[in-house]
Amino acid sequence: MIAGIVKDEGDDPRFHAGDKVGISVRFPVGHYRVPHYIRGKKALVEEVVATPAIDNEEEGFGRNVGLKRHYYRVSIPLTELWPGYAGSPHDGLRIEVYENWLERI
Amino acid sequence: MHPHDHTPIVAAEEAPGYYEIMETAVRELLVAKQIISAGEIRRHLEVLDSRTPQLGAKLVAKAWVDPAFKKRLLANGRTACEEMGISFYENTELTVLENTEKVHNLIVCTLCSCYPREVLGLPPDWYKLTPYRSRAVKEPRAMLAEFGTVIPDDVEIRVSDSTAMIRYLVLPRRPDGTENMTEEQLAALVTRDAMIGVVPVEFQKGRVQ
Amino acid sequence: MNHSEELLKRLPNDIGGQPGAPIQRTEHQYLPWEKRCHALADILDMRKIVSTEEKRRGVESLGAEMIGKLTYYERWVAAFANILFQKGILTPGEFAVKMEEVAARHSRGTAA
Repeated sequence: MIAGIVKDEGDDPRFHAGDKVGISVRFPVGHYRVPHYIRGKKALVEEVVATPAIDNEEEGFGRNVGLKRHYYRVSIPLTELWPGYAGSPHDGLRIEVYENWLERI
Repeated sequence: MHPHDHTPIVAAEEAPGYYEIMETAVRELLVAKQIISAGEIRRHLEVLDSRTPQLGAKLVAKAWVDPAFKKRLLANGRTACEEMGISFYENTELTVLENTEKVHNLIVCTLCSCYPREVLGLPPDWYKLTPYRSRAVKEPRAMLAEFGTVIPDDVEIRVSDSTAMIRYLVLPRRPDGTENMTEEQLAALVTRDAMIGVVPVEFQKGRVQ
Repeated sequence: MNHSEELLKRLPNDIGGQPGAPIQRTEHQYLPWEKRCHALADILDMRKIVSTEEKRRGVESLGAEMIGKLTYYERWVAAFANILFQKGILTPGEFAVKMEEVAARHSRGTAA
Protein backbone atom coordinates (compact mmCIF):
# COMPACT_ATOMS: atom_id res chain seq x y z
CA MET A 1 0.00 0.00 0.00
CA ILE A 2 1.23 3.53 -0.77
CA ALA A 3 1.57 5.67 2.35
CA GLY A 4 0.37 9.22 2.82
CA ILE A 5 -2.97 8.94 1.09
CA VAL A 6 -5.85 10.62 2.88
CA LYS A 7 -9.08 8.70 2.36
CA ASP A 8 -12.36 10.42 1.66
CA GLU A 9 -15.44 9.73 3.73
CA GLY A 10 -17.06 6.60 2.30
CA ASP A 11 -13.85 5.32 0.63
CA ASP A 12 -13.51 2.48 3.11
CA PRO A 13 -16.41 0.15 3.69
CA ARG A 14 -17.80 0.34 7.20
CA PHE A 15 -18.53 -3.39 7.31
CA HIS A 16 -16.65 -6.46 6.17
CA ALA A 17 -17.40 -10.05 5.18
CA GLY A 18 -18.26 -12.02 8.31
CA ASP A 19 -19.73 -9.06 10.21
CA LYS A 20 -23.05 -9.58 11.94
CA VAL A 21 -25.37 -6.70 11.10
CA GLY A 22 -28.94 -5.68 11.71
CA ILE A 23 -31.16 -4.23 8.99
CA SER A 24 -32.52 -0.91 10.25
CA VAL A 25 -36.17 -0.26 10.83
CA ARG A 26 -37.48 2.93 9.33
CA PHE A 27 -40.24 3.81 6.89
CA PRO A 28 -39.16 6.12 4.10
CA VAL A 29 -41.92 7.41 1.85
CA GLY A 30 -41.49 8.14 -1.85
CA HIS A 31 -38.89 5.57 -2.80
CA TYR A 32 -36.88 2.86 -1.10
CA ARG A 33 -34.99 -0.27 -2.06
CA VAL A 34 -34.98 -2.10 1.26
CA PRO A 35 -38.11 -4.23 1.25
CA HIS A 36 -40.29 -4.50 4.35
CA TYR A 37 -39.66 -8.21 4.69
CA ILE A 38 -36.01 -7.78 5.75
CA ARG A 39 -36.30 -4.73 7.99
CA GLY A 40 -35.24 -5.37 11.56
CA LYS A 41 -33.76 -8.75 10.68
CA LYS A 42 -30.30 -9.99 11.64
CA ALA A 43 -27.95 -10.66 8.75
CA LEU A 44 -24.42 -11.71 7.98
CA VAL A 45 -22.22 -9.77 5.57
CA GLU A 46 -21.17 -12.18 2.81
CA GLU A 47 -19.43 -9.74 0.51
CA VAL A 48 -18.66 -6.06 0.19
CA VAL A 49 -19.50 -4.72 -3.26
CA ALA A 50 -16.13 -3.17 -4.03
CA THR A 51 -17.08 -0.03 -5.91
CA PRO A 52 -18.79 2.57 -3.72
CA ALA A 53 -21.95 3.98 -5.21
CA ILE A 54 -24.63 6.61 -4.93
CA ASP A 55 -27.53 5.90 -2.57
CA ASN A 56 -30.16 4.50 -4.93
CA GLU A 57 -32.98 5.83 -2.77
CA GLU A 58 -31.76 9.34 -3.57
CA GLU A 59 -30.90 8.40 -7.14
CA GLY A 60 -34.58 7.69 -7.65
CA PHE A 61 -35.18 11.42 -7.34
CA GLY A 62 -32.46 12.36 -9.79
CA ARG A 63 -29.48 12.69 -7.51
CA ASN A 64 -26.61 11.18 -9.46
CA VAL A 65 -23.67 12.89 -7.76
CA GLY A 66 -22.43 13.16 -4.22
CA LEU A 67 -21.10 11.04 -1.44
CA LYS A 68 -20.79 7.36 -2.23
CA ARG A 69 -21.02 4.46 0.15
CA HIS A 70 -20.86 0.70 -0.19
CA TYR A 71 -23.45 -1.93 -0.86
CA TYR A 72 -23.23 -5.24 0.97
CA ARG A 73 -24.47 -8.62 -0.10
CA VAL A 74 -25.87 -10.06 3.12
CA SER A 75 -27.38 -13.41 3.97
CA ILE A 76 -30.44 -13.97 6.14
CA PRO A 77 -31.74 -17.46 6.98
CA LEU A 78 -35.32 -17.97 5.80
CA THR A 79 -36.11 -19.16 9.35
CA GLU A 80 -35.14 -15.65 10.53
CA LEU A 81 -37.42 -14.04 7.96
CA TRP A 82 -40.49 -16.27 8.28
CA PRO A 83 -41.74 -17.73 11.57
CA GLY A 84 -42.58 -21.38 11.02
CA TYR A 85 -40.57 -21.63 7.78
CA ALA A 86 -41.16 -25.17 6.52
CA GLY A 87 -38.07 -25.81 4.39
CA SER A 88 -34.50 -26.60 5.38
CA PRO A 89 -33.06 -24.54 8.27
CA HIS A 90 -30.11 -23.86 5.96
CA ASP A 91 -32.22 -22.14 3.30
CA GLY A 92 -31.31 -18.48 3.03
CA LEU A 93 -31.78 -15.17 1.30
CA ARG A 94 -28.99 -13.15 -0.29
CA ILE A 95 -29.77 -9.48 -0.78
CA GLU A 96 -27.86 -6.24 -1.37
CA VAL A 97 -28.27 -3.52 1.20
CA TYR A 98 -26.78 -0.02 1.23
CA GLU A 99 -24.49 0.95 4.08
CA ASN A 100 -26.91 3.43 5.63
CA TRP A 101 -29.44 0.66 6.29
CA LEU A 102 -27.05 -1.53 8.29
CA GLU A 103 -26.22 -1.41 12.00
CA ARG A 104 -23.51 -3.24 13.85
CA ILE A 105 -24.91 -5.80 16.31
CA MET B 1 -67.60 -16.84 -45.55
CA HIS B 2 -70.87 -15.03 -46.00
CA PRO B 3 -71.57 -14.47 -49.78
CA HIS B 4 -72.07 -10.73 -49.26
CA ASP B 5 -69.07 -10.28 -46.97
CA HIS B 6 -66.83 -7.50 -48.24
CA THR B 7 -64.17 -7.93 -45.57
CA PRO B 8 -60.79 -7.47 -47.21
CA ILE B 9 -58.72 -10.66 -47.29
CA VAL B 10 -55.74 -8.81 -45.92
CA ALA B 11 -56.70 -6.93 -42.74
CA ALA B 12 -55.72 -3.29 -42.47
CA GLU B 13 -52.76 -2.71 -40.15
CA GLU B 14 -54.01 -2.58 -36.59
CA ALA B 15 -54.23 0.92 -35.20
CA PRO B 16 -51.58 1.70 -32.60
CA GLY B 17 -52.98 1.60 -29.09
CA TYR B 18 -52.85 4.50 -26.65
CA TYR B 19 -49.53 3.49 -25.12
CA GLU B 20 -47.86 2.84 -28.45
CA ILE B 21 -48.91 6.33 -29.47
CA MET B 22 -47.44 7.61 -26.20
CA GLU B 23 -44.14 5.80 -26.79
CA THR B 24 -43.95 7.19 -30.33
CA ALA B 25 -44.68 10.71 -29.09
CA VAL B 26 -41.97 10.55 -26.40
CA ARG B 27 -39.39 9.19 -28.82
CA GLU B 28 -40.16 11.59 -31.66
CA LEU B 29 -40.18 14.66 -29.43
CA LEU B 30 -36.86 13.70 -27.84
CA VAL B 31 -35.35 13.09 -31.27
CA ALA B 32 -36.72 16.41 -32.60
CA LYS B 33 -35.18 18.21 -29.63
CA GLN B 34 -31.92 16.35 -30.32
CA ILE B 35 -31.86 14.87 -26.85
CA ILE B 36 -31.52 11.39 -28.31
CA SER B 37 -31.13 10.22 -31.90
CA ALA B 38 -33.25 7.81 -33.91
CA GLY B 39 -30.03 6.01 -34.82
CA GLU B 40 -29.24 5.31 -31.15
CA ILE B 41 -32.63 3.70 -30.64
CA ARG B 42 -32.26 1.61 -33.79
CA ARG B 43 -28.80 0.50 -32.81
CA HIS B 44 -29.80 -0.37 -29.28
CA LEU B 45 -32.75 -2.43 -30.57
CA GLU B 46 -30.19 -4.49 -32.47
CA VAL B 47 -28.10 -4.85 -29.31
CA LEU B 48 -31.17 -6.04 -27.40
CA ASP B 49 -32.11 -8.52 -30.12
CA SER B 50 -28.62 -9.98 -30.03
CA ARG B 51 -28.86 -10.76 -26.32
CA THR B 52 -30.58 -14.13 -25.88
CA PRO B 53 -30.26 -17.03 -23.44
CA GLN B 54 -27.81 -18.59 -25.90
CA LEU B 55 -25.17 -16.21 -24.57
CA GLY B 56 -25.68 -17.39 -21.02
CA ALA B 57 -25.69 -20.98 -22.22
CA LYS B 58 -22.30 -20.48 -23.87
CA LEU B 59 -20.87 -19.13 -20.62
CA VAL B 60 -22.24 -22.12 -18.70
CA ALA B 61 -20.90 -24.66 -21.20
CA LYS B 62 -17.48 -23.03 -21.21
CA ALA B 63 -17.42 -23.03 -17.41
CA TRP B 64 -18.27 -26.72 -17.44
CA VAL B 65 -15.34 -27.64 -19.70
CA ASP B 66 -12.75 -25.02 -18.73
CA PRO B 67 -11.96 -24.89 -14.98
CA ALA B 68 -9.82 -21.76 -15.31
CA PHE B 69 -12.65 -19.89 -17.06
CA LYS B 70 -15.10 -21.11 -14.45
CA LYS B 71 -12.88 -19.67 -11.73
CA ARG B 72 -12.80 -16.31 -13.50
CA LEU B 73 -16.55 -16.40 -14.10
CA LEU B 74 -17.28 -17.05 -10.44
CA ALA B 75 -14.80 -14.42 -9.29
CA ASN B 76 -16.24 -11.64 -11.45
CA GLY B 77 -19.09 -12.37 -13.84
CA ARG B 78 -18.93 -9.07 -15.63
CA THR B 79 -15.22 -9.18 -16.51
CA ALA B 80 -15.56 -12.80 -17.61
CA CYS B 81 -18.40 -11.73 -19.91
CA GLU B 82 -16.38 -8.84 -21.28
CA GLU B 83 -13.54 -11.30 -21.94
CA MET B 84 -16.03 -13.15 -24.18
CA GLY B 85 -17.10 -9.97 -25.98
CA ILE B 86 -20.35 -9.59 -24.01
CA SER B 87 -20.44 -5.91 -23.16
CA PHE B 88 -22.58 -4.47 -20.37
CA TYR B 89 -24.77 -1.54 -21.34
CA GLU B 90 -26.15 -1.20 -17.82
CA ASN B 91 -24.17 0.06 -14.85
CA THR B 92 -24.37 -3.28 -13.06
CA GLU B 93 -22.16 -6.10 -11.84
CA LEU B 94 -22.78 -9.79 -12.52
CA THR B 95 -22.38 -12.45 -9.86
CA VAL B 96 -22.56 -16.02 -11.11
CA LEU B 97 -23.98 -18.46 -8.57
CA GLU B 98 -22.79 -22.05 -8.80
CA ASN B 99 -25.23 -24.85 -8.08
CA THR B 100 -23.61 -27.83 -6.38
CA GLU B 101 -24.60 -31.07 -4.72
CA LYS B 102 -25.19 -29.10 -1.56
CA VAL B 103 -26.50 -25.72 -2.78
CA HIS B 104 -29.26 -24.73 -5.17
CA ASN B 105 -29.50 -21.10 -6.23
CA LEU B 106 -32.39 -19.17 -7.66
CA ILE B 107 -32.75 -15.52 -8.60
CA VAL B 108 -35.56 -13.02 -8.24
CA CYS B 109 -36.23 -9.30 -8.06
CA THR B 110 -39.04 -8.81 -5.56
CA LEU B 111 -39.21 -5.03 -6.01
CA CYS B 112 -39.22 -4.86 -9.80
CA SER B 113 -37.65 -7.01 -12.55
CA CYS B 114 -33.85 -6.82 -12.27
CA TYR B 115 -32.49 -9.59 -14.48
CA PRO B 116 -29.14 -10.39 -16.14
CA ARG B 117 -30.34 -8.98 -19.47
CA GLU B 118 -26.92 -8.71 -21.09
CA VAL B 119 -26.55 -12.50 -21.01
CA LEU B 120 -30.13 -13.76 -21.04
CA GLY B 121 -32.06 -11.13 -23.01
CA LEU B 122 -35.41 -9.85 -21.76
CA PRO B 123 -37.12 -11.74 -18.95
CA PRO B 124 -40.27 -13.86 -19.28
CA ASP B 125 -43.55 -12.42 -18.00
CA TRP B 126 -43.81 -14.84 -15.08
CA TYR B 127 -40.51 -13.55 -13.65
CA LYS B 128 -41.96 -10.02 -13.51
CA LEU B 129 -45.40 -10.89 -12.14
CA THR B 130 -46.52 -10.97 -8.52
CA PRO B 131 -46.71 -14.71 -7.78
CA TYR B 132 -43.03 -15.40 -8.53
CA ARG B 133 -41.75 -12.23 -6.91
CA SER B 134 -43.74 -12.62 -3.73
CA ARG B 135 -43.23 -16.36 -3.23
CA ALA B 136 -39.60 -16.96 -4.27
CA VAL B 137 -38.26 -15.43 -1.04
CA LYS B 138 -40.83 -17.02 1.27
CA GLU B 139 -41.62 -20.49 -0.02
CA PRO B 140 -39.02 -21.34 -2.64
CA ARG B 141 -39.47 -25.10 -2.30
CA ALA B 142 -43.22 -25.08 -2.85
CA MET B 143 -42.80 -22.65 -5.71
CA LEU B 144 -40.03 -24.69 -7.37
CA ALA B 145 -42.25 -27.74 -7.12
CA GLU B 146 -44.73 -25.91 -9.36
CA PHE B 147 -41.95 -25.75 -11.94
CA GLY B 148 -41.53 -29.50 -11.50
CA THR B 149 -38.33 -29.04 -9.50
CA VAL B 150 -38.01 -30.84 -6.20
CA ILE B 151 -34.98 -29.92 -4.13
CA PRO B 152 -34.04 -32.54 -1.49
CA ASP B 153 -34.15 -31.40 2.14
CA ASP B 154 -30.41 -31.83 2.56
CA VAL B 155 -29.71 -29.30 -0.21
CA GLU B 156 -29.52 -25.66 0.86
CA ILE B 157 -31.56 -23.19 -1.20
CA ARG B 158 -30.16 -19.69 -1.68
CA VAL B 159 -32.56 -17.11 -3.07
CA SER B 160 -30.81 -14.00 -4.38
CA ASP B 161 -33.04 -10.91 -4.48
CA SER B 162 -31.58 -8.12 -6.67
CA THR B 163 -32.15 -4.68 -5.23
CA ALA B 164 -29.22 -2.61 -6.45
CA MET B 165 -26.12 -3.03 -8.59
CA ILE B 166 -25.63 -6.78 -8.72
CA ARG B 167 -27.35 -8.99 -11.27
CA TYR B 168 -27.24 -12.75 -10.92
CA LEU B 169 -26.90 -15.75 -13.21
CA VAL B 170 -27.19 -19.31 -11.99
CA LEU B 171 -24.48 -21.75 -13.13
CA PRO B 172 -26.53 -24.95 -13.15
CA ARG B 173 -25.08 -28.41 -12.52
CA ARG B 174 -23.82 -30.34 -15.48
CA PRO B 175 -26.05 -33.38 -15.99
CA ASP B 176 -24.67 -36.92 -15.88
CA GLY B 177 -23.98 -38.66 -19.16
CA THR B 178 -22.61 -35.54 -20.87
CA GLU B 179 -18.94 -36.33 -20.37
CA ASN B 180 -18.19 -36.76 -24.07
CA MET B 181 -20.15 -33.78 -25.35
CA THR B 182 -18.59 -30.82 -27.06
CA GLU B 183 -18.97 -27.32 -25.65
CA GLU B 184 -21.48 -26.56 -28.39
CA GLN B 185 -23.55 -29.64 -27.59
CA LEU B 186 -23.49 -28.76 -23.91
CA ALA B 187 -24.60 -25.19 -24.56
CA ALA B 188 -27.63 -26.50 -26.47
CA LEU B 189 -28.82 -28.24 -23.29
CA VAL B 190 -28.76 -25.13 -21.11
CA THR B 191 -32.11 -23.35 -20.92
CA ARG B 192 -32.96 -19.85 -19.75
CA ASP B 193 -35.02 -21.25 -16.89
CA ALA B 194 -32.05 -23.32 -15.67
CA MET B 195 -30.01 -20.11 -15.48
CA ILE B 196 -32.75 -18.46 -13.43
CA GLY B 197 -32.61 -21.51 -11.18
CA VAL B 198 -36.18 -22.78 -11.45
CA VAL B 199 -35.33 -26.00 -13.32
CA PRO B 200 -32.19 -28.14 -13.69
CA VAL B 201 -30.40 -28.76 -16.97
CA GLU B 202 -31.67 -32.06 -18.29
CA PHE B 203 -30.11 -34.68 -20.47
CA GLN B 204 -31.51 -38.06 -21.27
CA LYS B 205 -29.31 -40.41 -23.24
CA GLY B 206 -30.92 -41.84 -26.31
CA ARG B 207 -33.69 -39.24 -26.33
CA VAL B 208 -33.86 -36.79 -29.22
CA GLN B 209 -33.14 -33.42 -27.60
CA MET C 1 -58.48 5.79 13.10
CA ASN C 2 -57.25 6.29 9.57
CA HIS C 3 -54.86 3.58 8.40
CA SER C 4 -54.10 5.21 5.08
CA GLU C 5 -50.46 5.70 6.14
CA GLU C 6 -49.83 2.08 5.07
CA LEU C 7 -50.32 3.27 1.50
CA LEU C 8 -47.39 5.63 1.94
CA LYS C 9 -45.18 3.40 4.04
CA ARG C 10 -45.38 0.36 1.78
CA LEU C 11 -44.80 0.86 -1.93
CA PRO C 12 -47.16 -1.07 -4.24
CA ASN C 13 -44.21 -3.05 -5.67
CA ASP C 14 -42.91 -4.14 -2.23
CA ILE C 15 -44.47 -7.59 -2.33
CA GLY C 16 -41.71 -9.95 -1.20
CA GLY C 17 -43.20 -12.52 1.14
CA GLN C 18 -46.82 -11.58 0.61
CA PRO C 19 -49.26 -14.41 -0.09
CA GLY C 20 -49.06 -15.31 -3.76
CA ALA C 21 -51.01 -17.21 -6.37
CA PRO C 22 -49.81 -20.34 -8.20
CA ILE C 23 -47.18 -19.67 -10.83
CA GLN C 24 -48.43 -19.47 -14.39
CA ARG C 25 -45.52 -19.63 -16.77
CA THR C 26 -46.92 -16.92 -19.00
CA GLU C 27 -44.74 -15.48 -21.69
CA HIS C 28 -45.52 -13.26 -24.62
CA GLN C 29 -43.66 -12.18 -27.68
CA TYR C 30 -42.51 -8.64 -26.97
CA LEU C 31 -44.45 -6.22 -29.21
CA PRO C 32 -42.33 -3.87 -31.36
CA TRP C 33 -43.43 -0.81 -29.37
CA GLU C 34 -42.50 -2.57 -26.12
CA LYS C 35 -39.01 -3.29 -27.41
CA ARG C 36 -38.73 0.34 -28.54
CA CYS C 37 -39.83 1.42 -25.08
CA HIS C 38 -37.15 -0.78 -23.55
CA ALA C 39 -34.51 0.65 -25.89
CA LEU C 40 -35.66 4.17 -25.04
CA ALA C 41 -35.30 3.45 -21.32
CA ASP C 42 -31.78 2.09 -21.78
CA ILE C 43 -30.73 5.09 -23.90
CA LEU C 44 -32.17 7.56 -21.38
CA ASP C 45 -30.26 5.77 -18.60
CA MET C 46 -26.99 5.54 -20.54
CA ARG C 47 -27.22 9.22 -21.44
CA LYS C 48 -28.04 10.08 -17.83
CA ILE C 49 -31.25 11.82 -18.86
CA VAL C 50 -33.55 9.57 -16.81
CA SER C 51 -31.77 6.96 -14.70
CA THR C 52 -33.14 3.47 -14.23
CA GLU C 53 -33.72 4.30 -10.58
CA GLU C 54 -35.72 7.41 -11.51
CA LYS C 55 -37.81 5.25 -13.80
CA ARG C 56 -38.45 2.77 -10.96
CA ARG C 57 -39.51 5.60 -8.68
CA GLY C 58 -41.67 7.01 -11.47
CA VAL C 59 -43.47 3.69 -11.88
CA GLU C 60 -44.04 3.43 -8.12
CA SER C 61 -45.47 6.96 -8.16
CA LEU C 62 -48.22 5.89 -10.55
CA GLY C 63 -49.89 4.32 -7.53
CA ALA C 64 -51.49 0.98 -6.87
CA GLU C 65 -54.50 1.32 -9.17
CA MET C 66 -52.51 2.22 -12.28
CA ILE C 67 -49.84 -0.33 -11.45
CA GLY C 68 -52.53 -2.98 -11.22
CA LYS C 69 -54.28 -2.01 -14.44
CA LEU C 70 -51.43 -1.07 -16.79
CA THR C 71 -49.12 -3.67 -18.29
CA TYR C 72 -45.38 -3.60 -17.70
CA TYR C 73 -44.32 -1.29 -20.56
CA GLU C 74 -47.49 0.78 -20.33
CA ARG C 75 -46.32 1.65 -16.82
CA TRP C 76 -42.86 2.56 -18.11
CA VAL C 77 -44.10 4.90 -20.81
CA ALA C 78 -46.62 6.59 -18.48
CA ALA C 79 -43.84 7.06 -15.92
CA PHE C 80 -41.49 8.47 -18.57
CA ALA C 81 -44.02 11.07 -19.66
CA ASN C 82 -44.43 12.25 -16.05
CA ILE C 83 -40.70 12.30 -15.35
CA LEU C 84 -39.89 14.21 -18.53
CA PHE C 85 -42.53 16.82 -17.61
CA GLN C 86 -41.08 17.12 -14.10
CA LYS C 87 -37.63 17.69 -15.53
CA GLY C 88 -38.91 20.30 -17.95
CA ILE C 89 -37.68 18.30 -20.92
CA LEU C 90 -41.15 18.00 -22.39
CA THR C 91 -44.31 19.93 -21.62
CA PRO C 92 -47.74 18.32 -21.23
CA GLY C 93 -49.09 20.64 -23.92
CA GLU C 94 -46.62 19.77 -26.65
CA PHE C 95 -46.91 16.14 -25.70
CA ALA C 96 -50.69 16.13 -26.08
CA VAL C 97 -50.38 17.81 -29.49
CA LYS C 98 -47.81 15.24 -30.57
CA MET C 99 -49.95 12.34 -29.45
CA GLU C 100 -52.85 13.68 -31.52
CA GLU C 101 -50.57 14.00 -34.52
CA VAL C 102 -49.32 10.42 -34.17
CA ALA C 103 -52.85 9.07 -33.70
CA ALA C 104 -54.07 11.01 -36.75
CA ARG C 105 -51.42 9.46 -39.00
CA HIS C 106 -53.00 6.10 -38.78
CA SER C 107 -56.57 7.19 -39.39
CA ARG C 108 -55.42 9.31 -42.37
CA GLY C 109 -53.58 6.31 -43.75
CA THR C 110 -56.62 4.04 -43.68
CA ALA C 111 -59.23 6.53 -44.86
CA ALA C 112 -61.43 4.76 -47.41
